[in-house]
Amino acid sequence: MAVVEINNVFKSYHDTEVEVKAINGVTLSFEKGDFAVIVGPSGSGKTTLLNLVGGLDQPTGGEILIAGHRLSELKPSELIDFRMDHVGFVFQSYNLIPVLTASENVGFIMNLQKWPKEKRMERTNELLTSVGLADRHRSRPSQLSGGQQQRVAVARALATHPEFILADEPTANLDSKSAESLLDIMEKLNHEEGMTFIFSTHDVRVMKRAHRVITLEDGKVVSDDVRE
Amino acid sequence: MITSIAWKNIWRNKTRSLIVITAVTIGVFAGIFSMAAINSSVVQRIDAAVNEELSHIQVNSKDFRRSSDIQNVISNYPGVVSALESTAGVTQVTGRIIIRGIASTAAKSSGVEINGIDVEKEREMFTLFRKLIPGTGSFFETDSKFNTVFIGEKLAKELNIIRYIITPEAISSLREEGLPEDFIKKVETLRGERFTSDKKFEKACEKILEPDEIQKYRWKIKEAAWSYREGSKIILTFLDIDNNQTGAAFRVSGIFRTNNDMFESLSLFVPIDELRQLTGMEEGTFHRVIARLENDDITNDITPAIREKLPDYEVLNWKEIQPDLAMITDFINQIYAVFMVLILAALAFGIVNTMLMAVLERTRELGMLMAIGMNRRKIFIMIMLESIFLSITGGFAGMAVSEAVIAITGKTGINLMKYSEGMEAMGYSAHLFPTIDAQFFFTTTILIILTGIVSAIYPARKALKLNPVEALRGE
Repeated sequence: MAVVEINNVFKSYHDTEVEVKAINGVTLSFEKGDFAVIVGPSGSGKTTLLNLVGGLDQPTGGEILIAGHRLSELKPSELIDFRMDHVGFVFQSYNLIPVLTASENVGFIMNLQKWPKEKRMERTNELLTSVGLADRHRSRPSQLSGGQQQRVAVARALATHPEFILADEPTANLDSKSAESLLDIMEKLNHEEGMTFIFSTHDVRVMKRAHRVITLEDGKVVSDDVRE
Repeated sequence: MITSIAWKNIWRNKTRSLIVITAVTIGVFAGIFSMAAINSSVVQRIDAAVNEELSHIQVNSKDFRRSSDIQNVISNYPGVVSALESTAGVTQVTGRIIIRGIASTAAKSSGVEINGIDVEKEREMFTLFRKLIPGTGSFFETDSKFNTVFIGEKLAKELNIIRYIITPEAISSLREEGLPEDFIKKVETLRGERFTSDKKFEKACEKILEPDEIQKYRWKIKEAAWSYREGSKIILTFLDIDNNQTGAAFRVSGIFRTNNDMFESLSLFVPIDELRQLTGMEEGTFHRVIARLENDDITNDITPAIREKLPDYEVLNWKEIQPDLAMITDFINQIYAVFMVLILAALAFGIVNTMLMAVLERTRELGMLMAIGMNRRKIFIMIMLESIFLSITGGFAGMAVSEAVIAITGKTGINLMKYSEGMEAMGYSAHLFPTIDAQFFFTTTILIILTGIVSAIYPARKALKLNPVEALRGE
């Protein structure tokens, strides 16, 4: 069964007198274990599509199903809980909570979900070890490099076993070494744990590693290449 | 967790938070301390009124206060005393003879109210005896074959009993105080001269001293030159029980100094037996019965009960006798309310401003929190808590500073001698001992917390209105 199903989705904006169709009839599905990237020029609708899939924004037409849940049927408050339980987010600029340590950041969503402390600590240690930051668990984001912060963000996204992870330009602010290292970790999680990753990116390093490359132009899917 | 993040968040921008906390601290301190100072002035005035001048309850015949007729005595003194003593809350009762008369010396005369008192009883009930100026005698402690009188400093000055003389001792005391030699040399030019009034002495000082020297050392020279000859005599003239003019010489037993010029110049005290003998009033006759209560606060509750027991008499409490005192208490409460509204409004604007900045600066972070699953209620609580922490921290710091300063100045006092003439003319002390009760602190704390909560609502609502997608895009 598909983890994400996007059926003939539209998203229009009326910021100006002219209607802007950011997403124009996109139909896609993502299976468990996908390592897919959405590429396209700026303004092609990559981030908008990710926001729709993540339940951060509502489509103006069509429907999106995540693990069988129809997003349009969820109330705003239910959508927040839904995101917390089913979607992991990795942002371009890391977006960690600056006043919390690495382990507190990783444990943040578990805390919101009221996990018992011991279980939370165990999972936090496990994730920080898997992203290679076990020794930096007490560091605040300002004490970590960009690459390290993004690895903490990945660990946070994975913490509560979401259905999939949406990563919006995750390597855009990283140097080559950090970007490769981050992609290694994500690839490993994809191989070993079958975690589904959906990226939006301009970065060829990400594209090279993807199993599937979807190209958007003017809000439409112009190609969907699956690699062996 | 939300609480912990909120607390950590306020220390993200330490400088800004410290500025807000300092502003709150200063505001709270200013409010509490000025209220404590004003309050002390009122408390001291009420204490003086109750403990030195009026007592809590006064009972006299219905027309006595208006006519002051010597024959208008309390018809059933034992009955009145018994009614008062049987009232719960009344602790002590005594009677006084009160007559109008004239006090005079060879130099001057002045209208006075002569109070015939039971010396021992009054010593138990009032604190006026503690107001004796050292070196002027005692509160009727010396055996004397003369009639004796206890008078106020103001009256003593009016009657020229107190004078100002620059003696060698006065010069030495100024030197011991460490006053500048140039200044002392100028004062020495007045050596040996006698000044029979404040005004004359001040005029003489103005001629030889610079205005700033007078401003600075006025009270020190007056204190040093203050001169009184113990055992001075005054003549009291008044009507006896048959309305014949009579009078006698009274030796001044002691001179008291209060903060109430009017009381000092009008009221004088003589042992009741001496007055009874001179007026021909019978044993057991009194014009006024005075009662003390357990405390000031029960005055309003007890007065109607006494009034009911003594319908044939005029029963007045201290608030009714001096309504300005009751009014000033209400006035002070109103000033307090205005003060607190101003302080809390300033505090609220400060917090709204700071929290709005904090929300706007953290737009992206708040968007991220919403994106990853932190619901709006928790975000609202987090912003509210940040505001409450800021106001509570500043509030408690302000209260701690106030408490410390009030504790220190409550002992040392705040000297407003510069304004003493005006203040004492109104019966208020120029030496304030700030005091404030615990309930005031409690109320202030609650108000500060409420202000913190109210001022956080707008920034918190602003945060709630953020759209996660737009917030994440924001810089």
